[in-house]
Amino acid sequence: MGMLKDEDKKYVREQFAEKLKGPVKILLFSQRLECEYCRPTEEILTELSQLSDKISLDIRNLQIDSEDAKQFGVEMVPATILLGEQDKDYGIRFFGIPAGYEFSNLLADIIEVSADESDLPDELKQKVSAISRPVDIKVFVTPTCPYCAGAVRTAHKIAMANPRYIKAQMIESVEFPHLANKYAVYGVPKTIINEKVQFEGAMPEAAVVEQVLSALEQPQS
Amino acid sequence: MEFSFSVTGPPKVDLKDSYDVVVIGGGPAGLTAAIYASRARLSTLVINKGAAGGLVATTEWIENYPGFPEGVAGAELGRAMQTQAQRFGAEFFNGEPEGIDLAADPKILRLAGREIKARSVIIATGTTPKKLGVPGERELYGHGVSYCATCDGPFFADKELLVVGAGSSGVQESLFLAKFAAKITIVEFLATIQAEGILVERFNKTGKGSFLLNHEVLAIEGDRTVSGVRVRNRSSDEEKLIPAGGVFIYVGLEPQTGAFADQLKLDQWGYIEVDSDLRTSVEGVWAAGDVVSGATRQIAAAVGTGTIAAIEVEHYLSSEGAAR
Repeated sequence: MGMLKDEDKKYVREQFAEKLKGPVKILLFSQRLECEYCRPTEEILTELSQLSDKISLDIRNLQIDSEDAKQFGVEMVPATILLGEQDKDYGIRFFGIPAGYEFSNLLADIIEVSADESDLPDELKQKVSAISRPVDIKVFVTPTCPYCAGAVRTAHKIAMANPRYIKAQMIESVEFPHLANKYAVYGVPKTIINEKVQFEGAMPEAAVVEQVLSALEQPQS
Repeated sequence: MEFSFSVTGPPKVDLKDSYDVVVIGGGPAGLTAAIYASRARLSTLVINKGAAGGLVATTEWIENYPGFPEGVAGAELGRAMQTQAQRFGAEFFNGEPEGIDLAADPKILRLAGREIKARSVIIATGTTPKKLGVPGERELYGHGVSYCATCDGPFFADKELLVVGAGSSGVQESLFLAKFAAKITIVEFLATIQAEGILVERFNKTGKGSFLLNHEVLAIEGDRTVSGVRVRNRSSDEEKLIPAGGVFIYVGLEPQTGAFADQLKLDQWGYIEVDSDLRTSVEGVWAAGDVVSGATRQIAAAVGTGTIAAIEVEHYLSSEGAAR
């Protein structure tokens, strides 16, 4: 018995066959010990990668491959990263298992990476691509939160529109309680931009882009 | 450890310029309307701003929807309904219309900067949890004040929680919170518990909960996070502070009709007024589900009105087509 139901596999396989263009590499940082969610994440991503020839899975170990982890800004596991053609990094990060509603985000992200095109409306894409300073977006979620998927999706789309400067991380709060604690997360989705701007709830895309711009306007700390 | 994996997120849709039916809202009413409309071979677009199933998606477990003798997860039911509509060709757009002109013929909706024409519109925007309207509620939202137990429950492990509202929603969600919390007090303004008896039985069995009836919540207190809730006994007028690490609010629902307020006839509470065929005050516009004035606000009822609205739309469009 796999983790995905047969009918879901069939649906995803069809979606991928229809919509995937270029290759997508799922890069997973994992570890064997002291990581409750690493093994199920490996399992689900393995199943997922088998649903299309265009998808490959590369599992690395946080300790053994520490140089790679550093390069991708990975300090905790499981960490899922999507790379496009020639290993292009689109700034998309999932920390924690992409389960529940976040799994549908992962599917949507894979399709976007494969097309090498952010799904943001053109007007927002222009605003985001004009950014020339680093932006770090953290979105805290729980897998059972129906509003969270939208917030993560928007953050990932923004990163995809300017991957050179923008990283957008989904953080599964249950798996990383120390981070949830540090950022005083009591409700999800909670978004934190460059450690300066934060807001609760899912906002329309245009409003999130404005929040990113306002984070950049604040003085460097 | 058990995981579920949702595969039906909002798929990327290449919007057409016009549709036979645009359904606004992706809860049970909207999704059912979409199933019927797409099976009638009407080109159908569903506009949904949240997860499949709408408010149903935030309900952990549903036991009063027929056909699921063991019950069904709200998220699962929402997903299944959306998948069913997609199977018959309904398209989905994730977001909100930026503008709507219902009086125009055809109707005009602005979506993602584009203008979409619709021969008919079914409004199934449903309701959103009502705010309590007390001091501290807005300030501490996301810092211990929540309207979504399935979203935020895990943050309150071993905490004492207060749930406002002893209706079915409040008690049902308290059952979910009882998996995490040390203790749950359900505060109710009225002197009686409104929830279904079976839910109350289960809540009592958790051994973690108690009811505080006939009490009004005056304020939610806390510095950076919730520390307690000030309540007043409505008989004795006595006030007290109940310590709580979190407050979950289930004091009813309010309609999401702001976008149509000046275009449709609404009742005094903001719900959409319809005739027996669910026609609104504007030709070519129907309403279904919880947003309808006088709705029973149950999933099965929403499914029923979604069905009626879609069938009425089908009749309307075929006679309209014949007239042209």
